[in-house]
Amino acid sequence: MSEEEQESGPVPHRAFWTGSISIGLVNVPVRLMVMVREHTLSFRLLHRKDGQPIQYRRVCTRDNREVPWEDIVKGYEVREGEYIMIEREEIEAVRPESDRRIRIDRFINVLEVEPVYYDRTYLLVPDGSPEAYALLMEAFRKKGRAGIGRITLRTREYPALVREYQDALILITLHYPDEVTDPAAVEELSAIPEPGKKELALAERIIDDLTGELELSGYHDTYRERIEELIQKKMKGETVHVEKPKAAEARELMSALEETLARIKDSR
Amino acid sequence: MAGDQMVGKVPVTNLDRILYPFLGVSKKEVIGYYIRSAPRILPFLSGRALVMQRFPDGVAGQGFYEKDAPPGTPDWVTLFSHGSRTAEREIRYVVCDSPDTLIWLANLAALELNIILARTDDPERPDMLLFDLDPEPPAGFPEAVETALALSELLGELGLSPFVKTSGRKGLHVVIPLDRIYGFDETRTFVHAIGILLSRRLPKVVSELSGTHKPGTVFVDYLQNAAWKTMIAPYSLRATEQATVSMPLSWEEVRKGIMPEDFTIRTAISRQGDPWKEFFDQAERLPAVNNE
Repeated sequence: MSEEEQESGPVPHRAFWTGSISIGLVNVPVRLMVMVREHTLSFRLLHRKDGQPIQYRRVCTRDNREVPWEDIVKGYEVREGEYIMIEREEIEAVRPESDRRIRIDRFINVLEVEPVYYDRTYLLVPDGSPEAYALLMEAFRKKGRAGIGRITLRTREYPALVREYQDALILITLHYPDEVTDPAAVEELSAIPEPGKKELALAERIIDDLTGELELSGYHDTYRERIEELIQKKMKGETVHVEKPKAAEARELMSALEETLARIKDSR
Repeated sequence: MAGDQMVGKVPVTNLDRILYPFLGVSKKEVIGYYIRSAPRILPFLSGRALVMQRFPDGVAGQGFYEKDAPPGTPDWVTLFSHGSRTAEREIRYVVCDSPDTLIWLANLAALELNIILARTDDPERPDMLLFDLDPEPPAGFPEAVETALALSELLGELGLSPFVKTSGRKGLHVVIPLDRIYGFDETRTFVHAIGILLSRRLPKVVSELSGTHKPGTVFVDYLQNAAWKTMIAPYSLRATEQATVSMPLSWEEVRKGIMPEDFTIRTAISRQGDPWKEFFDQAERLPAVNNE
């Protein structure tokens, strides 16, 4: 993230999870905030003819009749076209209960976690007891370590990494290993040849030439910028909806004004 | 994150966010500017639909126009609903009629406050008309000044006493307060006709839309005189690098050769006197225009 983004970056969300980091018998009360928000543009679908919003309705595919929410149930497709019904209560019953704890199991070097496993990043803020928070943060920084453990968010339990970042603690949820594709399992990658020596030397030289400092601020979502520009133009365009005065009227009035001017001059 | 701070009854947020990066002006300073300018700017905002241009990421970022009251608008903010033909729906305009609303707007980073040229109680009858003098490079502010002075003389000959302000960018706005007896078609035609007259006296003046973008000319824009079109409010900030203000001027100052950059968020407050103080006491009628 660029420096500029951090200064004027997205307004932080309010905390959506309250609990504590627990390490053995020590608890640090924290709140969790969304830290990364993507700048996406959302559009509403309209009926071109009259500009009215399009609405989704839940209809039964058999008779096209709208189905009220209370008559809707979740179905899991076991075979093509064959479902088993699962009631909400049944799902609730097996849902992991969030015990409002981030349980730290051990401390590791931050670099041990391959970034491929990173899922989402959250900001941890102290929920009372800022001393405990400060202590944990400072200890992480001094030791250059991160905590690895578990958190239950809504309906899922995640492995999570807790570490210090710019005078704050952050939590990164991680993917489970079986969610990440093993490159060795990809056929196209199983038989790639060794490169030739000469070609490799050339490739290395190109890399050396292009080696530089990371400057993420140089990257922009140019598509989004163009869409926003388009929207701005259209919004302005909406107000530029003016009948031009008929040139004849203006000229007629102008002659009248000239007469007025002449009359005023004469009377002086 | 610290809890919301309050200014009066208005919660304010991210006070340290820099809105004018070139000068390092924070949102706190912007709110401060609008609080101190309230006595001068509120008479021009009250009773009038407002179109704000917001810059939540500062003037270097993308700004956006907002006509509709944004989600989360407090219930004490005055709104004015109007069905828009082009948008085919009701627009709920904000009416800024109190210091609280002004602070709330500043907190939304609504740097540019644009006003409709008519009041909400009779939106089809303008209470002011606008000559928007817009120089086309290489013409710049000095050419706009020259045009404004010639225009002032011409209007003076017709018995009118126009007011003048910087646009805060490169142009000047010459404005006449009006008795509310004309429609926009009449004010628009009047401004257009004066533009034609002026272009005969001053060849660099362009009075037709088709003649704009000719280098070195000054366009007397009459098209702003229309229902629901807006003008930047006097004393509003502009989203410029230098944090300029659309500043009301005396004709004496215009003659002396001021520059738009003389009036910024930092200098505008300390200004003595208010050349537009009597604005609404001097409503005029247009010569040679027969209203119904």
